Amino acid sequence: MRFPTRRHARLCLLLIFCLSAVAVGQQWKAPTSMKKLSNGLIVVVSEDHSAPTFGLCISYGIGFRLEPEGRTGFAHLFEHMMFEGTPNSPKGVLDRVIEGGGGNNNGDTRYDHTEYIETAPLSALDPVLWIEADRLKTLDFSPKNLENQRNVVEEEVRVNVLNSPYGLFYAIDLAGKAFDTYPNAHNFYGDFHDLDAAKIEDVQKFYEQYYAPNNAVLAIVGDVQPDEIFAKAEKYFAAIPARTVPPRPKVDEPPQAAERRATQTDKLAKVPALAVGYRMPARHSPDALAAAVTGELLHNGQASRLYQALVKDKQVALSVDGGVNWPLGNPFEYNGPTLMTSFIVYPPKVTEDQLVAAFDASIHDLIEKGPTQQEVDRIVTKMRSDWYDNLALPINRASALSHATLFDGNFDSVYQTPEDLAKVTPAQIRAFAGKYLVPANRTIINRVPAKQDDAAKTGAGQ
Amino acid sequence: MTMTKLENCLFAVVLLVGLAAAQKEVPMPKDLPPYGPEKPLQTPNVKTTTLNNGLTIWLVSEPGLPKVALTVEVRGGLAADPENRPGISQLLSKTIDQGTKSRSARQVAQELQGAGGDFSAFATKDSLEVSTAVLSAKTATALGVLADVVQNASFPDGEVDLAKRNLADSLDQQEAEPRFLASRARDRVMFGKHPYHVMSATKESVATATPADLRDIFAQRFRPDQALLVAVGDFQSDKMLDAVQAVFGSWKAPARPSVALPANPPTTVEHAVFFVPRPGSVQTTIEFAAFGPKRGDPDYEPAEVANAVYGGTFSSRLVANIREDKGYTYSPYAFLRPYRAAGELVSHADVRNEVTGASLNEIQYELTRLTTTSPTDEELTKAKRYLVGSEAVNLQDRGSLAQTLATLWVAGLQPDEIGARGRRVSATTTADVNAAARKYFAPHQAAIIAVGEEKVVREELAPFGLSVRAVP
Repeated sequence: MRFPTRRHARLCLLLIFCLSAVAVGQQWKAPTSMKKLSNGLIVVVSEDHSAPTFGLCISYGIGFRLEPEGRTGFAHLFEHMMFEGTPNSPKGVLDRVIEGGGGNNNGDTRYDHTEYIETAPLSALDPVLWIEADRLKTLDFSPKNLENQRNVVEEEVRVNVLNSPYGLFYAIDLAGKAFDTYPNAHNFYGDFHDLDAAKIEDVQKFYEQYYAPNNAVLAIVGDVQPDEIFAKAEKYFAAIPARTVPPRPKVDEPPQAAERRATQTDKLAKVPALAVGYRMPARHSPDALAAAVTGELLHNGQASRLYQALVKDKQVALSVDGGVNWPLGNPFEYNGPTLMTSFIVYPPKVTEDQLVAAFDASIHDLIEKGPTQQEVDRIVTKMRSDWYDNLALPINRASALSHATLFDGNFDSVYQTPEDLAKVTPAQIRAFAGKYLVPANRTIINRVPAKQDDAAKTGAGQ
Repeated sequence: MTMTKLENCLFAVVLLVGLAAAQKEVPMPKDLPPYGPEKPLQTPNVKTTTLNNGLTIWLVSEPGLPKVALTVEVRGGLAADPENRPGISQLLSKTIDQGTKSRSARQVAQELQGAGGDFSAFATKDSLEVSTAVLSAKTATALGVLADVVQNASFPDGEVDLAKRNLADSLDQQEAEPRFLASRARDRVMFGKHPYHVMSATKESVATATPADLRDIFAQRFRPDQALLVAVGDFQSDKMLDAVQAVFGSWKAPARPSVALPANPPTTVEHAVFFVPRPGSVQTTIEFAAFGPKRGDPDYEPAEVANAVYGGTFSSRLVANIREDKGYTYSPYAFLRPYRAAGELVSHADVRNEVTGASLNEIQYELTRLTTTSPTDEELTKAKRYLVGSEAVNLQDRGSLAQTLATLWVAGLQPDEIGARGRRVSATTTADVNAAARKYFAPHQAAIIAVGEEKVVREELAPFGLSVRAVP
């Protein structure tokens, strides 16, 4: 799922012979190297000579967690302004250059980073690099374009929230209830009051604060050589001066003391849904890998524990989705408080109590007995397979490399994570569940369809 | 919308013509580097063969990332469903993996998860598809499960019963989605009584379907002489072929006749507003739907190029107008949707209630403008390069390539169609685009679907003088 985003989006153990050159461990790495320019811009290059194309991601160390109070939704609105032209390159040129080069582009805003991505045949590489460098020098700070994109973003919020059943309550409202401080609890898509208040001066200030080469990582994957790309990066980006980026404030949450519950009515949905969010350990804490595996063990596909228990065995749910840092990222791309979220749509004839009781029984079973080694082997194999899917297309591998380097200063985790996941033991998962998957650490929102005669009175969504 | 606003709006259109023409002249930045030398974009190297039982096999060996995408496609989808069981293919796609003669539903899911995959199945109008993507070292496991499912699915009574109840509730869930409502209305309006009007099951067809119905349809459609297996990824083709032969070689076609091709559908649709009420909507979902070319028709590629100029790309006229100029919508797009026996041409936008009429006006304007003006040289070149380049980029994804190949096979085409399509796109001339635009894009040839608040839609669309009616 890609939101908030610039545009509508639009993947027998008896081996009688070896089908592949790679052995069953299936470790995989692509040749990848990294260089830091004198202005602090980190450049990562990964070779993929299977086709004469490239994927590019430049990500910046700013997301909606740090957008100013009174300006909810601003980081994403700002992302839209990055596509609205510069004094050198008026509005429209960027899309003409990239699509005319046979490619695509997009942008995405998340809690702790914002990315700009392109992919195209190799012949478009130089003009695309020029475009990315150009919008890191300055923007066309146009009030008219701000007004236009404010309208576009408000339509985006309508499509994905206000005119949509469930209205992303399992992301926006759940975080709002589970956390107590502005950075983690506010509506990241933006209240219209705040979006309407945004001024071109805000755009200018945000740009000056955070859009610095020393707050960015450029990753390029494709039919290229590292030295060639480092030279091009030097040519297009080296003259852009480094700037002082505000120090990252503390975004910790006060501890949660007790379970939090809420009920909402939904005037568009026809079928009820429930969201559960458990607060998760900090990124890179000793529990983080067990958290990631547990999240997938519970939610990944039809073999997952929650699907088997809630949809199949007890027949109290229609669908189960979720995981750590879901739906706004994978269990590794965040830098502050996050949740393990379960989003469950359930039959109208089932009660909230029945569903929560069945959910709790699944969690209790995990805490009491832990998973079997066989079950853990299955899920880490699935996670490796999913991980590789996300490295297959140059544009996606560029994203993964750029984000990892932005968060860690190096890209090692992109190739190391499947190996680390394979070391997680059933005992670690059981211990993690016992420590974190407890009622006092969670928030539950039940969302029920408004009765037909109430529909006219309640506002859209909530 | 009042008439005053509509007049303003029409006035704005006149101004826009000048603006739009001027916009095309904005020169590229003087220090923007030119595109580099073109390296030829390869098309996938597909090895095709047929087993003795008639199963068609298309293999694409792409060493490297240790993954394999596997797809089995069979002819006959929603359009082949019995008249008294509309959309039962959808129920079949939800139950085909729920047990075989030797595996339970849970075993199917767990074995595939242990190989790194999920089981995926869905019904198109013309076909049923099952697929997975797994670690290449686990290919034999995945092939074994897929082969078992497509030959031995048993549709256990208890699993079918649960799937029926859940699908009935999921249909209710979908009734809340404006895009689902628009798509369903579109197919009913476009295809009338033709079997292509079915896009999903109904509560009635789900309620009356039995395990015996599913077993019968399964037996009729899942047969090697009407099936394709595609594998794309990290394998050696000769070894993959041996592995496929080992688990699919004994699959036998029944003596009964296979699914017939659908009859020719209508070719025209009434230019009227077909309204779908959705109380509480803060946006109107608007679609213009007309008949377009089928894949393989000589003007399919010219229509693709015309669509890219009109609304199929981000730098297209429609997006520049109703999003980047007027801010009416986040999500405008236009696409060609080819089926085996028909083609659709669709424009889509979700717009806030108060600009419903203004948006309709602009979409009509851009459709008309495409039929009355030639694309500029830059528009034509950009559209052609986009269509060829973006397909080469997308087909690097193994799942996308497997899916694209399966779609070609359903259309009765061969793998070399990928390269041939690229050559035809590149050879498309201004005259070709103009001819396709005049043939397919004129707004009076399109039905208009509007999903939203009844009062809003009626008031906003009243000035257009179109008939506003319920979906048949």
